[in-house]
Amino acid sequence: MSEAVSLAPELLYQKSFVIRGNDYDHGGEAAAQVKAILKQLGIAPELIRRLSIANFEAEMNAIMYAYEARLELSVFSNAVRVVISDHGPGIPDIGWALEEGNSTATPEMRARGFGAGLGLPNIKRNSDEFAIESTVGTGTTLRYAVLLNDGLGS
Amino acid sequence: MPGRTHSIVIDKEKCIACVACSQVCPTRAIRVRDRLAHVKDELCIDCGSCIPACRYEAVRAMTSSPADLQRFKYTVAIPSLTLFGQFGREVEPAQVLHALRRIGFDATYDFSWMCEMVAGATDAYLSECAGPWPKISVTCPAVVRLVQIRYPDLLAHLVPLETPRELAAKVHRRRLAAEKHLPPEEIGIFFVTPCSAIVNSIVSPVGLDASHLDGAFAISELYGPLLKALKEAPVADTVEAVSARGLRWAMAGGEISGMRNANSMTVRGVKDVTYVFDHIEAGRFQSVDFIETYICPDGCVSGQLTVAGRYEAQQAVHHHAHRLGAQSTVKEEKVRTLLREHFFDFEAEIRARPVRPLAQDLRQAVALTKEKDALVARLPRKDCGACGAPTCETFAEDVLRGESKLADCVFVRIEELEQTLSGKGGDA
Repeated sequence: MSEAVSLAPELLYQKSFVIRGNDYDHGGEAAAQVKAILKQLGIAPELIRRLSIANFEAEMNAIMYAYEARLELSVFSNAVRVVISDHGPGIPDIGWALEEGNSTATPEMRARGFGAGLGLPNIKRNSDEFAIESTVGTGTTLRYAVLLNDGLGS
Repeated sequence: MPGRTHSIVIDKEKCIACVACSQVCPTRAIRVRDRLAHVKDELCIDCGSCIPACRYEAVRAMTSSPADLQRFKYTVAIPSLTLFGQFGREVEPAQVLHALRRIGFDATYDFSWMCEMVAGATDAYLSECAGPWPKISVTCPAVVRLVQIRYPDLLAHLVPLETPRELAAKVHRRRLAAEKHLPPEEIGIFFVTPCSAIVNSIVSPVGLDASHLDGAFAISELYGPLLKALKEAPVADTVEAVSARGLRWAMAGGEISGMRNANSMTVRGVKDVTYVFDHIEAGRFQSVDFIETYICPDGCVSGQLTVAGRYEAQQAVHHHAHRLGAQSTVKEEKVRTLLREHFFDFEAEIRARPVRPLAQDLRQAVALTKEKDALVARLPRKDCGACGAPTCETFAEDVLRGESKLADCVFVRIEELEQTLSGKGGDA
């Protein structure tokens, strides 16, 4: 191999999943599929664990609040990134939603074991990078990532 | 790999290579190749789903045979509690134990009290341990294997207490050796099992270096002789103190029914177990202390090596447990002392057995994954199983790993044939 020059991170793999609002029956399936792909790729178990928790929370948020969402998985040479963007009501006060314990969950969502106000904080806590943008009446986009730190393909 | 890691045996003479077993396998561990079903060691969890799925009786568990009893000077049967539910409400546990002694075992040992002990120990463990929550029962060996293979992150959730059947065999062998003045290895202790998972937990144990049991007879294999013995000598010669709380372990829900900690739940059947484990991995169910899980839909009464229908068996077990009453045969303080003395501890660590990635190097794995995606897109995605793999996706993986050829797919072959033919037609 020739001398490797440190370049911008390279996109190695990409796949996206459609999530439908209110589809509790298939809740967690996109997260489970992403987990299976990452295992197949040999990503470190600890990173898969953290990213799966984030994906599950994000997927359930989309199911509970949005009309439809798209989860896009991108495996880069230095990170695994997820973008999950939805068409939905949006979040009026992101700062408030990011505080633990704050929730707008309905009784139905609570009956299903959600609504403790830990969703977004959990996604943030389990990812190495996290960003959220939301427009009320249009939708929300979450971007988060776990970083691969073992210096790939050296 | 030392020894085999599953207990499923395929009979070469009887297997017609029909793929019924491969289609029902929940971990996609079976492939039909060269006109014979093969079980992949690294994927099989010994749930036994394949056993009743075979209409040609070609799939069975590697159980003990009467010849195995000859290797020992003194033999003991420890029956699964499920056995007590196999003969209807009228036949009591003491009669079943008596019948076991009549068909060839020198002695029997009822371990229902040990189940009660382990339930108590689990209570004590839950009150003292620090998480992660929820804790998961290790009673069903197929569940333990599923965790090793597919949910390595949940290993820390397993309750690190040995199963009642192993503890019972360990304690009883020691006692018998002293009483009968026999070397421990000349005593043969056999479990009478409702399932293939327990057979394998003896052949290649988890959490133990070697099993304390010497083998297992299937309930279905002893059923005929036992029925005959029950007819010939229906009255038991001794009174046996069977623990009602222990007896309930034969059914899903039984383990938690005798526990003090009520912040628990029961999960039955491989589909629900997978669902709940996926959710625990995602951080859900943390407010639950203990989960009792069974690969079989109703717990051990629905094991594949049983004879009685699972509802009939449940009814019988309920009846016996009710008649025995709720009194406890185990002292709580004694259990706590034993727990502190590490009596219940695993003897070996339970290790993950994760399925290997497509390649060790990420770039290579990505290339193979893309190849796999392309391959799946080319396949009919009917999951017909004719190639011998249960789904088109598993087939694509097999092709990538070099274990199958693309031409094993009949649809691909027909396509190629049509192309060849039309090519020739054009020439003519």
